[in-house]
Order: sequence, then structure tokens, then C-alpha cells
Amino acid sequence: MILALRNLARPGAALLLLGALLAVLAWRAPPRADLAEFLPVGGTPASAFLLRELQSGAATTLLLAAIEGEVPREELARLSRETAAALRASGRFAFVGDGTLRPSEEELAFLFRHRYLLSPETQPEAFTAEALRPKLQALLDGLRSAASPLLARFGFADPTGSFLGLATSWLGESRVETFDGAWFAPPRPDAPPRVLLLARGQGAGLDAEAQGAAIEAFRAAFAAANPPAAARLLLSGPGVFAAEAAPRIRGDVELITTASGLLLAAFLTWRFRSATLLALVAVPLVAATLAGYAMTVAIFGAVHAIALGFGMTMLGVAVDYPILLLTLRREGETMVAAAARIWPSLRLAAAAAAVGLLAMAGSGLPGLVQLAVFAGTGLLTAAATTRWVLPHLAPPGPRIVARPLPAWLVAALTALQGRRALAGLAVLAAGVALLASGGPTWQRDLAALNPVPAERRALDGELRAQLGAPDVRAVFLLGPAASEAEVLALSESLAEAARPWIAAGRLAGIDLPSRYLPSPATQRARQALLPDQAALEDALRQASAGLPFRPAAFAPFLAGVEESRRLVPLDLPGFAAGAPTIAARLSPLLTRHGAAAWGIAPASGVADPAVLERVVAERGLPGVLFVDVKLEMERLLWAYLRATALWALAGGVAVLALLALGLRRPRRALLLAAPIGGAVLLDLAVLELAGQALNLFHLASLLLLAGLAIDYSLFLADPGADTGSRPILDAAGVGQGPRDEGLRNPRDDRLGAVLSCAISTLLTFGLLSFCETPVLRGIGLTVAAGVASAFLLACALVPQPDIAPER
Amino acid sequence: MRTRRRVLLLAASCLLPRATHAQEEEALRRTMAALAATPQRQASFTEQKAIPELDLPLPSEGTLRWQAPDRLEKVTIFPITERIAVAGGRLTYERPDRGIQRNFALQEEPEMQALVEAIRGTLAGDLAALRRHYDVAYATQRDGSWRMVLTPLSLRVRGAVQRIVLTGLGAEVRGVDTEGNGGVTRMRITSAP
Repeated sequence: MILALRNLARPGAALLLLGALLAVLAWRAPPRADLAEFLPVGGTPASAFLLRELQSGAATTLLLAAIEGEVPREELARLSRETAAALRASGRFAFVGDGTLRPSEEELAFLFRHRYLLSPETQPEAFTAEALRPKLQALLDGLRSAASPLLARFGFADPTGSFLGLATSWLGESRVETFDGAWFAPPRPDAPPRVLLLARGQGAGLDAEAQGAAIEAFRAAFAAANPPAAARLLLSGPGVFAAEAAPRIRGDVELITTASGLLLAAFLTWRFRSATLLALVAVPLVAATLAGYAMTVAIFGAVHAIALGFGMTMLGVAVDYPILLLTLRREGETMVAAAARIWPSLRLAAAAAAVGLLAMAGSGLPGLVQLAVFAGTGLLTAAATTRWVLPHLAPPGPRIVARPLPAWLVAALTALQGRRALAGLAVLAAGVALLASGGPTWQRDLAALNPVPAERRALDGELRAQLGAPDVRAVFLLGPAASEAEVLALSESLAEAARPWIAAGRLAGIDLPSRYLPSPATQRARQALLPDQAALEDALRQASAGLPFRPAAFAPFLAGVEESRRLVPLDLPGFAAGAPTIAARLSPLLTRHGAAAWGIAPASGVADPAVLERVVAERGLPGVLFVDVKLEMERLLWAYLRATALWALAGGVAVLALLALGLRRPRRALLLAAPIGGAVLLDLAVLELAGQALNLFHLASLLLLAGLAIDYSLFLADPGADTGSRPILDAAGVGQGPRDEGLRNPRDDRLGAVLSCAISTLLTFGLLSFCETPVLRGIGLTVAAGVASAFLLACALVPQPDIAPER
Repeated sequence: MRTRRRVLLLAASCLLPRATHAQEEEALRRTMAALAATPQRQASFTEQKAIPELDLPLPSEGTLRWQAPDRLEKVTIFPITERIAVAGGRLTYERPDRGIQRNFALQEEPEMQALVEAIRGTLAGDLAALRRHYDVAYATQRDGSWRMVLTPLSLRVRGAVQRIVLTGLGAEVRGVDTEGNGGVTRMRITSAP
């Protein structure tokens, strides 16, 4: 007992010191949890803007809500009204939409006053007798119809119908039924009645904290309305997804970090039955975490929580190094001597593993790059700590001996040794399977990487369809511009250019910012072409000849046109103050980033995005860019995938070169690399059979696998000049107590050591396969399947000094 | 003697309004009950729409159809063709000659809703529904016909429709006069056999 404590003293002290340093570092530079920081930034202005919009744009702050349940319609309407009122009162939302939302009388009067500045029908010929005559006839016709109260109210002051035209184009046909101040979704068979609400938050979309607060506010507002038990609130939107994704990812990371740590500790305890070993193994791991943390903070300014959690899990593979040192020490050898002896192999293994991270580092995805820096620094640190620090911490005395492997396992592995034909057959089968399925499937569909569960996406689609708020798929970007007025002018030039495209059916329509508010220049131009009093009076007299209008009927029209000529053109603040409901539809189409003003004009009914993109590019409108979100994201992903593939290839070559260099025998390097190549092939086949379409995360993981699996070949082949000619797996040594060390042999130790390494890697990465997050699951599955293949292939293929055990 | 008669008359005229009020309320309820007892109606109408900005009233004619509890259809066949059909909370407006068809919630058009509820409430004999939207004044004429004046309760609606005057005999509605914006629309209704 006392001996054990004394043995623990040095590594314990080292661990305390390292832990304290890590705590200080984590306190000075706490990990960040903002999802947006982990996501890519685009290379081109378009993709940069797009990604920024996707992460923090107006569309991401949209909350779609429904209240449904088997309760009376009046009760649902009351819930809707009271929830909406509470949301407005909270001041947390830039906009709340519900059935009570309609332009006030003052707003209508404001818009009516500015009708000839806002309406696109204000054209030079619109006020001539020829143009007015059919308008007056239409007015008369309308007065005969049931719509006459409406026409009598607006028609005489606006016989050109400018205002009603504006109102129709802005408000359109509503799909929802307004009842009692609530929007009712169209009735659905076998479903309870549902009211709809819409809110736009003020925080950035993927800022999980702000979104979480907005969602809380929504729930609180609903709860404050005293809902009956049968009524429930449904929430959706990008912000809800972000708020739900963050804890899910954090949960994944925490789970795998904790579980893999515990499993690893349990396995090592079982295998070696030594607290000292556990403490010794922990030293390089904590040192690696400290170094990785420090390096990441030094390069990126902070560590992202995901990179930290996941990086620590990846550093789990660094337990290989201390295990190899502690278990490969020969009888009577000092720790320092053992470290020096295995150092060439250890150095090679660590370098190969670090090179294995090259694909992640080269992918360009901020999250993966951080991860690569963290893990790469950590791995090298772990190797260095094992070489130079650990020997001085380890207690002198008898070496730590592993629990002998179970007899069946040894028998199975022994049977595998030298079975090159079997290994070749397995690899061949994998190749054939891959060929038969037409090679690995590449993931091009972004939806598959989406961490949002399918049923949540289905609800989102349903609510969007009911509210008539379609997900933005294609947009025209307007900008960068110096001011909003300039963006509005760009929007007008786009409106002009898009006319032939719409006529040709390339797209159905565009929701242009200038549709709501024309640029000041356009408003001034419209004022300039309004006729003076006398000319208009004259035109009216001619136009109304023979029609039963009284002479004074159109006096309000004459006065309105005269007033319009003298109005100050509307700017954005003026418009927002006078017409809040219409401005609420304009505001998501205008954004500012830094000093630049940008506009977004969502396009609907795009026939072929690629064709439209070409047509728009050929038209060459300055400051106007067509972006199809799906197309652009796929391209972006493809670019990342290509970068990752190139770096993976380069990394693969580098691993081979390292091997050749380290072994100084290229032929032997190739032989050692063979199991790894085979493992990659087997891995691809396993992924294909598991129905996984490959994405860049798989690709990066394949290289990582190659870097890790090098260990097995290296240490099984034991380049460290050892190789007494004793049997590898002396039957007599197997199953004996740990004290019968004399009968054991280096081969058994090597196999046991390498098996321990493989199992610890499997425990670490295998857990990732159970993650909900598709990215983590992909990495986990790839590495776990690859490690298993690589270990078995290494057993079968690696040329070992004495293949045939003496019996 | 003369003065006594005068005093009696005076006293009677003082008493009369109170007595009449109760009587009229009773008569209103009887009329409503009679209206409610007719679940299905078909009629033709003529309409004169007088608008202050026009020299002449605009005439039109067509048919009306009612199906309790809430379906109402007005089809204009001259001089324009137009169909308005209300069912529950939704209104369908069609002008086949213009290719116009709209379907919207009545709630979204309070002015239109006021007109619809006035006629629908009367035909359904639903006094409570009428009083949700209007102040109801009812009077029996000397010839036994009745006259009902509906004044919208909503200020917004009163901006467009000031008064709706319905006249009828027993369970028959004969006229609907809508006054608003300085104009008046007079509809005369004849039951179809």
C-alpha cells in the first residue's frame, strides 16, 4: 500500500502541476460555445455573404409558431392574441405577426398620401385623357359591383387605382383565415385546429444564447395566456434549430469525452491492474491537452468547445505512447534506456499521426482546422512527454506487466499470423464490393449533414407552407452599396433587367426591396412627371366625356396629385415610421454589414438555378449577383471536399515518406504500409455497406486512420532490433499468472501492447459512432472500422521476425 | 271636455312610448321567429345605387338565395355579371366576365362583413347575431309591414356604412337600403315562387 502510494507520488505531482496549469489556461481563455464561430467563412464575396446571412441574417431570426389543440376556435384566437401582445410588450422582437396585425387607419392614410411616389404606375402617359378614360370606365364598372364601398372610398381620389394596386401587390392574397384577430391554418383532416404566429428576433440567428432567450420569451408569453391543457405551442425556425442543436452537440461531446475516458480507464485498469500505470498514462494525456489548448488559443484566440471536447477525445489515442513504453520495457532495462530504444518507432508513430491530421488542417473548415491544430500539437507533445518526462516519473522496480490475453484471443490472433492469402482475399473482396457498387458514394446533399432531425424539418416545412413564408432557396444579392438608397436603386435596375427573364419563365418573380420603397431618385422622377393642375383637369374633362360623373367628383384626385408634387421623397426611416406594417416586410430585405449596405431579393419559381445564374452573369449588372443557396453550398462543400482530398493525398504520401525515411528501407516501408492501404479499402467498403455517403469528414478521418494505424505495423514489426528468436506466443506463457514473467516473451508483449493500443483507439472512436451529430458519427465510424481492419491486417501481413511459432 | 280629451291624449302619449317599446320588442321577436322558420329562400332583386359623385343612380338586378344557417348567394345578371357567395366565415367573389375570383375571410373586410351579417342575421332570424354588430331599431308600420334600422356598432364600419334599413312583411324581406359615404343603395326584393 505504502509502496503503491510512493509509486504514485511523482506522477501524481506531475498531474497536479499540469492540471493546475490547464485550469489557469481555461480560466484565462475559456472555451467558446457559439456555433457560428465554428462554421466556415466563404471564399468569394457571394459565399461569404451567403454564409453570413445563413448564420446571422434576418431569415435566421425568424420564429414560426403554431398553437393547436382540440379547444374552441375562440379560445385558440384568444391564446394567439394574448401571446402576440405579450411578445410585443417584451420588446425582444423586432416584429410580431398575427391576426391582429393590419395597417392602422393612419398607416393607410400615410401610404395613400404617398401613392404616386410609391406606385410603379406613375408613368408619364398615365395622366393623359387616353389613359384616364379606361380607368374611369373601370371605376364606373367597379361602382356597379359589390366592391363599390371600397371604390367609392378610394376611387374618386385615386381613379388610376395606384393605391389599390400597391395594396394588392404588398398584401397579396392571404392564405390564412383571420378570425377573431388570429391567423387560422387551413383545416386539415384528422388534425386539431391551429392558429399561426410569426416573430422576428433581434439577436443573430445562430447565436444560440439569444435564440434560446427568444424561445423562452415565446414560451413564457404562451404560458402567461393561461392555455388550457389541450392547447400546445409548436415552435420552429433556424433559431430554434440552432438553440436545439447546441445542447445536442454539447451533449454528444460531453458524453463521448466522459464515456471514452471512463471506458479507457476501466480497460487499462483491467488490463494492467495498476494505479501507477493509470497515473503514468494520464501524464502525457494531460500534457497533450495543455499544449493543444495553448497552441489553439495562440493561433485562433480561443478554443471552441466542440474542438476542445472532440480534440480531447482524439488525444485518447495518445495513451498508445505511454502504454508502449511501459509494457515494451524489457526485464532489467531502465525506463530511460527503454524510452531511448523505442524512441525511433515512437517518433515515427507520433509524426505519422500528426501528418494524419493534415487533411483536417487543410480542409479549411474553421472547426476542423482548430481540431487538427489541437490534436496535432497534443499528439507530438504526448510523444515528447513519453520520451523525456515519463521515464523520470516512473517508479523503479519490476516492470508493469499486462494481464495475459485470454487464450481464445491469442489463439485467434496466432491463427491470423502470416495469413497473407486471407488478408489479400479480404482486401480483394472489399475492392470487388466497392467496384460492384460503383465506387464509394459521395455526399452532395447538404441535408444529410444537417443535424436537425427529420420530423422537426417536416414541421418547419408545414408551418412555412401554411404561413406562406417559404424557405429562401434562391436570392439576388444587391450590394455592397454605400447607402440603403443605393441598394434600392440597384433593386430597381434588377427589376428592369429581370422582366425578360420572368417573361421567358426562368423564374416566377422576385421580392424586391424597391417593391416596397422606391429609391429617392425614382420618387423624384415620378414627382417630376406628375401633371400640373390645369393639365390634369383638362385630361379629366376629356376622359369623363359621356360618363355620368359629376364635375366635382374628382376634386380629391386633383388635390392629391398637386400635393404629391410637393412631398419630400420617403427615405427608409421615414417609411418605417409612417408605414410600420409594410416596413416590417421590407426590413428583412435590407441589411448592413460594417459600413456597407446590402439588399436581398428572394426569387421564387426558379426553373433552373444554373441556367439563371449564367443568364444573370451574362447580363452583367454591377452590384447584382444571383445566388442559389443549394447550388452555392454544394459548391462550397465541394471545394472543401477537394481541398481535403488533396491534403489527404499529400498526407498519405507524407506518411509513406516518413515511414521510408524512418526505416531507411523503402521496401520495408511499403510492406508496413500495406495493411494501412488495405484498411482504407476495407473501411471504404464498410462505409459503403453501412450506407454512409462519403463527405469531407470521412475523408479527413481516413487520413487520420492511416496516421494512427502506422503504430500497429511499426510496433508489431518491432524495428527496435529486438527479436530474440523465441516463440511469439509461447503456449506455455499464455494463461499463466502475471508472476511467471520469465516465461513470457517480447512477441507476446508486442502483440499485447499493440492490441491494447488498438482497443483504446476503438473505445475512443467507436463511441463517436453513437453520436447523434452526423459529423461526429461519420468520423467515429470511419476511424473505428478502419482501426479494426488495420489491426487485423497488420497481424496477418506484417513481416515478423519469426512467423512460424515453434511448437 | 275638450281640455279633458287633450289631457287624456297627453297622458296617453306619455305612456305610449313605454308601452310601444315593449310591444315593438315583442313584435321584433315575432318577426325574427317568423324569419327563422323559413330555412330556404329564393328571390329576385332590383337595385338602385346612388353615389353622390354620379349624376344618375346605377341600376342592377339579379337573384338572391338563402340556405339556413349561414349560406347566402347574390348573383347579379345585369348590367354586369357578378356572384357573391358567403358560407360560414368566408366569402367568394366572382366576376366571370373579368376572370376575377377571390376567396377571403369576411373578418378581413369589415365593411363587407357588416352588410353580410345584416342580411344573414335577418334571414336567419338571429337577433343576437344582429345585435353583436348593430344597434337594432324596429318599428311596425300602419299597414302591418315592419321596418328595421341597423346602425353599425363599429366606428370603422360606420365610416363606410352609416345605416342599413330593412323592410318587410311578416316573414318576407322586401327591401334593403344601405346608406354610406353620402350615397344610398336601394334593393327591392321579390320572392320567387
